Amino acid sequence: MKLDLLDDMEGLILHERENFLGAMEMKLNNTNKDSDTISRFPEKTPLAMAYVPFQQWGETYGDDEALSKGTLFPELDLPFSGGGDSR
Amino acid sequence: MNEQRMLLSKIKKYDFTLKELNLYLDTHPNCRRALAMFQKYKELRENAADDYSRKYGPLTPEQAYDDEHWTWIDDPWPWERR
Repeated sequence: MKLDLLDDMEGLILHERENFLGAMEMKLNNTNKDSDTISRFPEKTPLAMAYVPFQQWGETYGDDEALSKGTLFPELDLPFSGGGDSR
Repeated sequence: MNEQRMLLSKIKKYDFTLKELNLYLDTHPNCRRALAMFQKYKELRENAADDYSRKYGPLTPEQAYDDEHWTWIDDPWPWERR
């Protein structure tokens, strides 16, 4: 009896997971169409993992500004705002 | 700022930009735009360092040009500058 229940549970969890992955993919595809850019995530990115988006070439600061900002890339110019709610 | 300091600060900026491009290229080794920019800054850096060492002495021992005197040991050393 107990084993049957466990089997059912596993099936249910798997089913839920598949549904969720499907929904995520659709969402990702839609956002891609909207913004017309390449995804920063690999295809079929698994859930529950932490990712660092892959940097793409864009604007660069001049050498003068780069040194004072601490980065050549405006995209990476993310000053620490002291841990409070900066919004 | 006198010319010597201006030149030094230029070299510093070029070095920083080159380091940033170096790190970018480590993960994007075929990015043509980054490669072109690296070449451009490499040249700027070389010219500025050459200019500096001819006027104010070597920044590294390889830049000691004089045939008769080892200029690397000449004063002032970096920590002796005001």
